[in-house]
Amino acid sequence: MSEIIAVKSRHIQIFGLVVSIVFGVFILFVYATAPRSILELTTKAGETVSKAINTGQVVTGTYGVDEAKFQRGLALFRDQDYPGARALFADADPEKRDGRTQFYIAYSFYRQGWGRFSNDDGLFKRGVETGKHAQTLIGGDFVSDDADLKLKTPAALVSELEEGLRVTADDFNPLRALNERK
Amino acid sequence: MIDTPEKIDGENEAIVVTSDAIVPADETALEKIKARRAVLHHVFLPTLLLLVALLGGIRFSGRDGSIMFLPPALICLFFAAALIALFLRAGLIDLQGWVSERLSLIGNISNGVTLAALFFASAQIFNSILPEQGLPFWIVSFCVFWTLWNNLFAELNSLKLLRSLTAMFVLAFAVKYLLLANMTKPGNEGWLNSLINNPAQTAATWMLDLPQFDAATGYVQFFTLALFVIALYFIPRAIED
Repeated sequence: MSEIIAVKSRHIQIFGLVVSIVFGVFILFVYATAPRSILELTTKAGETVSKAINTGQVVTGTYGVDEAKFQRGLALFRDQDYPGARALFADADPEKRDGRTQFYIAYSFYRQGWGRFSNDDGLFKRGVETGKHAQTLIGGDFVSDDADLKLKTPAALVSELEEGLRVTADDFNPLRALNERK
Repeated sequence: MIDTPEKIDGENEAIVVTSDAIVPADETALEKIKARRAVLHHVFLPTLLLLVALLGGIRFSGRDGSIMFLPPALICLFFAAALIALFLRAGLIDLQGWVSERLSLIGNISNGVTLAALFFASAQIFNSILPEQGLPFWIVSFCVFWTLWNNLFAELNSLKLLRSLTAMFVLAFAVKYLLLANMTKPGNEGWLNSLINNPAQTAATWMLDLPQFDAATGYVQFFTLALFVIALYFIPRAIED
């Protein structure tokens, strides 16, 4: 009987240790994220948990894109709702590790930023950044099978975006207005 | 000569007192007391100290009542280290009784975590009682430093130390949450409005660089201080394994 209670006492020590560690981690989390309300605390906790899960999936090699969200994003992309499409693509690939998704995000920057007379430099710059990232992820062999896209590779897309950012004599050619978005 | 054993009320199933020593009457009951003590020392005490560490940095904004978590300034860590040194010096904590080779590994780790919790709770208590910035921060910090410094070289026992610390904490709390809080202009008033309605408070807020907190901050910090004093009351000199 005495042995049983002795073990119980050890269990209490272990339980106390676990409680202290969990509570300590919670305090660190709260001070690191500094939520402004209880609602924000739950939101930030959710974000942290999903980030931890994604990181775990990356480490264990089980990370994958959320296909349902990707398809919904693609539908919005085809409907020309580019900001909405980007939000869904970002949700589908929170760790930015899928080259195909990043390619579509870069393409959405191109299509949204393209103008018949002038391009949106801000969106094009973000497009170049994301396009280069997609290029790094999927390499030079990737060719998109999407018939809707005229620029089939990340390299072509990045080149088009960089061309759009450069100011050349061709920009002042009135025939430029006849160009089509790719 | 051995007297007839006399039972102690409340713990009568556990121990009996002879004229010379306290001896266990029933080993099982004694183990129960040990288990209760283990709950107090290994679960209740660290949790209470960590609760103080959590609450000590909480402030409520005077503008919209939102929660702010203020991490302790570097000086709070310095004061907390000095406070732990005082606890050791005054015999409130016997380090050999907390971390020692005669204790089990889990016991040592658990006690170490409790001591760490005591350090962080102390740092957060200083975070709580010291004004956040400006001249009041430096004045109160100097007073706290002076008290701790004097205590480090004084002949102290545990009781005297606790009295001295309680006096210091209560005074610093009163300065921050009663005196300075009442000198601060309301946070939800614009500067022009408050200059017309409360010119003295507005001037004091500007001159002393006082942050505007909601009244709830004082209430939370009062209970934090009370919890810290309760935790100090429960801290044993040494912990049995």
